[in-house]
Amino acid sequence: MIIQGNYLDGKTSRGRRAQLLYRESSELQIVVFDEEGYSSEESDPKSIAVDFHNLEIESRLGNTPREISFAGNQLFITPDNDAVDALILELGTGESVSWLHKLESSLPTIAASVIITLAVLAATVVYGVPKAAEVIAFKLPEFVSSKLGSSLDVLDNTIFDPSALTESRQQEIRTLFAPHLERFEDLNPKVEFRSGMKANAFAMPGGEIVLTDDFVELVKDDEELLAILYHELGHLKHRHITRRALQGSMITLIVVLVTGDLDTIDLLTGLPTLILDLSYSRDFEREADQFALEHMRAAGIPTENFALAMEHLQEYYAEDKEGESSENSDSDGESWTDYFSSHPATQERIDSARDFR
Amino acid sequence: MEENSSDDQRATANQTVEHRFEFRGDGFEYFKIWIVNILLTIVTLGIYSAWATVRNNRYFYSNLYLDNNNFRYLAEPLTILKGRIIAVLAFVAYSIAAQLMPIFSLVLLLLLLVAIPFFVNQSLAFKNRMSAYRNIQFRFHGSYGEAFMVMYIWPILGVLTLGVLYPLAIKKMHEYRVRNSAYGTTQFSYEANIWDYGKIFLVILGIGVIGFAVTVGISYLMPAAAIISPALMVFIYLAIIVFFMVKINNLFYCSAGLANHRFGAHLTMPGMASVLLINMVLTIVTLGLYLPAAKVRMAKYMADNINLNASGSLDNFAAAEQENVSVLGEEFGQVFDFGL
Repeated sequence: MIIQGNYLDGKTSRGRRAQLLYRESSELQIVVFDEEGYSSEESDPKSIAVDFHNLEIESRLGNTPREISFAGNQLFITPDNDAVDALILELGTGESVSWLHKLESSLPTIAASVIITLAVLAATVVYGVPKAAEVIAFKLPEFVSSKLGSSLDVLDNTIFDPSALTESRQQEIRTLFAPHLERFEDLNPKVEFRSGMKANAFAMPGGEIVLTDDFVELVKDDEELLAILYHELGHLKHRHITRRALQGSMITLIVVLVTGDLDTIDLLTGLPTLILDLSYSRDFEREADQFALEHMRAAGIPTENFALAMEHLQEYYAEDKEGESSENSDSDGESWTDYFSSHPATQERIDSARDFR
Repeated sequence: MEENSSDDQRATANQTVEHRFEFRGDGFEYFKIWIVNILLTIVTLGIYSAWATVRNNRYFYSNLYLDNNNFRYLAEPLTILKGRIIAVLAFVAYSIAAQLMPIFSLVLLLLLLVAIPFFVNQSLAFKNRMSAYRNIQFRFHGSYGEAFMVMYIWPILGVLTLGVLYPLAIKKMHEYRVRNSAYGTTQFSYEANIWDYGKIFLVILGIGVIGFAVTVGISYLMPAAAIISPALMVFIYLAIIVFFMVKINNLFYCSAGLANHRFGAHLTMPGMASVLLINMVLTIVTLGLYLPAAKVRMAKYMADNINLNASGSLDNFAAAEQENVSVLGEEFGQVFDFGL
């Protein structure tokens, strides 16, 4: 058996034409020629005997040239992959008759890989990641999450301004909330008022529930405020903030594993990651809504108030968008922009509050 | 370069020959390797990822040719797996420590900041040592001090001077990467003019300012046409990215040299833009399955537009001494994501 290739001695970058010779029951030999067209009388071809215990044959990878290294740093390199595979068979070393290459070149395997990979990824992303994040979030000791709560200070220094609500109004709301908060003392809830942002309410992992002035002013009734309070308590109870952070890092980890490197995280992978994160966020909002409705009923507050609060919020943002007409006309949800929103369509939330029984 | 005196000098020895880089990979061929990698990584719960990394890298190195010789990627999967396990353990240990003792975690973070330049040096040394061309390995020897300057001091000065010194920070980074690299015993050189860097940033500033003015102007003068403003902004943003990628890569390669050989590059804005656009659209449409082919397309485009103007033969480079660099640096680099 003769394999044509190139020989490099590993000491300099000069390559020479060479042949690898193998005859049964004899040694493996590499015959090195001088460069073609180069003074022929110069020297006889040099022959190197190769001990095949020192031989290392790279596994086959697509159609890349095959590398056979031996005796330290010497290298024989050939494009003739099939001949090298045959050689491996004859040498009987067997180990690298590449099952990997077989996998990589059989179309049924590829098709199966695509299907299995997509299925596993989909299952992981839809069920695995949220479930794992939930388990971890509830295993994390209390003080870990409360340490994260200090982020309210950061927001105070950047976005928020002190509330412009009168002290008496703030006190009024606190008094209104107090009996409802009592039953959730384990969550350590604390109500805060801020301005500097449009109508919004959040729960911080430390237990702070922040209401913006615009929000307090847009609702028409105290029981609507309670609806919002229960929604935020739902976020706290289910540890949504911690879970969202955990899910984000898990998705990043999966992207790194799948694409093989961190460099790929750019526009290409960034967009799907963002869409996933937003979809997780919408699930959390639905869960918090559900929590609010259940606990409102238990506390004897008509759940209609939740729907009303949402409607007022919807009106508030509609006025905000005055001039950019058409936007609000698609009232029954289902629009592609939903995929780019952190919350479900408000109309959907109103409808499900009214359907709640 | 070490001349091999016993070699006859050929008549063409000192003529300049242009060698194009050439990427001979194929999108579908790589897709097959890539998807099997992912499947095995899933089946082995992530352990195979070290083998996958090696196979991915080997595919891209082995298909890159210069003067009809291909590059090689030499790292062993087990080495990478070891480094990866250590790095993950360190990361977990750090996370736990950070949660149990917040103050201790601050000290650790500080130590980490101090250690980062060291890890980056190690990581580059490993990367270069695991790369070979014509059976000669590359090398990287960066000093801690220089890495520290490049990673912290120059960028901070860039920020403090409101970007005026930022081109200098990039130039220093390029010098650090190239001048500390060697092919065998032959050191790479890097000669660039700071003004060439400055020009790129001035043009970007210009595009940004004019683009902003036009966008604002349109919405004031023709409120009806204001709908196109966001699209225009995105277009300007993408144009700036493409412009930067093209110009900075051209400058980078044109400034680099190896002994008497000079590198060259002639990427173009239409060329780069079409590669990026095709890749982006097809990757999104195929739910990511086009990603491997996209990488191949980009590798082909880059290789086609980068060349080496060799003065004489490429036969006479000598191999450097054997040395061992731990894989740890590279893997730490990956866990904590130090992008360079």
